[in-house]
Amino acid sequence: MRNNALLALVVSLTLPGCGFAWRAFKRNLAAPPERTVAHKIVDPRRPRARLAALWVGHATVLLQLDDRFVLTDPLFAHTLAQASPRLVEPGLDVANVPPLSAVVVSHMHFDHLSFSSLDLLEQRTPVVLVPPGMRANMPRYSFEIRELESWASYEQDGLRITAVPVQHVGGRYGLDAAFEPRAFTGYVFEYHGLSVYFGGDTAYIPSAFQATRARFPTLSLALLPICPDAPRDFMQYTHENPSQALDAFALLGARRMIPIHFDTYINSDDAPGACAQELRDGMQARGLNDDQVSILAIGEQRVLIADGPPPAKPSAHNDSPPLASERQR
Amino acid sequence: MLFSGVTLFVLAARAEAVSPVPAPKPRVMSPAAAVGVWALAQLVPSPLLVTGKEHVGGGVRWQVTPLLYSFGIAERPLRAFLVSPIARHSGSLELHLSPEWACCAPGQQTSWLVRAGLRLYLPLEEHGEKLSASLGGAYYRAAGGGGASADVGIFTFNGVLGLNVAVSPWLTRREVITALTLRFF
Repeated sequence: MRNNALLALVVSLTLPGCGFAWRAFKRNLAAPPERTVAHKIVDPRRPRARLAALWVGHATVLLQLDDRFVLTDPLFAHTLAQASPRLVEPGLDVANVPPLSAVVVSHMHFDHLSFSSLDLLEQRTPVVLVPPGMRANMPRYSFEIRELESWASYEQDGLRITAVPVQHVGGRYGLDAAFEPRAFTGYVFEYHGLSVYFGGDTAYIPSAFQATRARFPTLSLALLPICPDAPRDFMQYTHENPSQALDAFALLGARRMIPIHFDTYINSDDAPGACAQELRDGMQARGLNDDQVSILAIGEQRVLIADGPPPAKPSAHNDSPPLASERQR
Repeated sequence: MLFSGVTLFVLAARAEAVSPVPAPKPRVMSPAAAVGVWALAQLVPSPLLVTGKEHVGGGVRWQVTPLLYSFGIAERPLRAFLVSPIARHSGSLELHLSPEWACCAPGQQTSWLVRAGLRLYLPLEEHGEKLSASLGGAYYRAAGGGGASADVGIFTFNGVLGLNVAVSPWLTRREVITALTLRFF
């Protein structure tokens, strides 16, 4: 706690006028103890699922596409940058992460690129995909670190992962954003006719979502960040709010959406639960149901497409009723 | 036919409801401006506690890194001047230059001295971002002459904060200088 106060003091001295950062640090100082997740899933493998998603927390999602597993922005740390304590423990123990086909990292910020978390996954993945400019800012690991430009793909045994454009900022420590202007990305995973969009951290950019839809017209699922929202005049450049996330969902033309990037750490002025509530309000206004937009609890796994043969031809999105979902806790 | 028409109408209505207004572009510094900010940040001195035989004083120190070889980073191990914290604290060998004003050198015309040396950084926790240590050796040049010094350090908060103790046996009455290091890149 003393360390936090010291850091808050340093930040306030070096970034005069950055009231938002000061408020966030003050709220972090008063953060409640990390909440535990009851009935955590021990074995996340769903042999009878074609597509399943387990929200570990923040932007970390364990995706199962048939027999393949991928992990997005792995973050199992209990404190971010020695300053921001986790509000809820990771929804999956690292020891229970199945062998992964790949890990993707969307950008370098502390809440998306966690070196200690990658340490824990070192023997579980052969490759970590990152945006351009990030390798030079990462420690050495035994797995391959591969940079992907927008629209470039990594392909291995039928699993294809493509970097797709989003709007955010690069860098890790603030100043280095100027030197890494392209170090942020989203991804699309494709396997056996399934396709999943992962937005990482992004502002609302209709042209990017439309361009992604043009290349991936049958997205099975979109993982979209919905927070931080406030202060909007500060966040608007780099983060979409819940309403914009629903717009992005529509523009992407995905069949289902799972919101991410909320209620795991304090990194904004948003009250706990505010983003999820705004999303629910938006869903109601747009007539979207829980099968279309599934708000998971941390540690919750949902089977989005149950067992069955891969479709011979991808079906059109949004014009057929969503398949029944099955909660797994 | 009727169903298709209704579906198209609903989809069109949905499309209209989507905001066409993109987010404004983030305001990111140009590289030149960032270098300027970095240069200004280097002017922020680290406060010193100067201790010697029958003498206690204060002082300030600045430091620059003309060259650094990082053996902890995945790519581009050689860095000059502007060194990201992960490159330095994940494990590196640094050539450093440190002008300092260590008050007050009894019997000397000036309290200024400059050190040049090598420093080894070793990561202790989270690849050095959370905690790292250093070991160094340097040659100093002061008003009364030159000599050798050795230093040890410990750093946290991505290397922004640190404690460095330099021992210079022949730097009369300023044999031990402890620095609270403040460093941004």
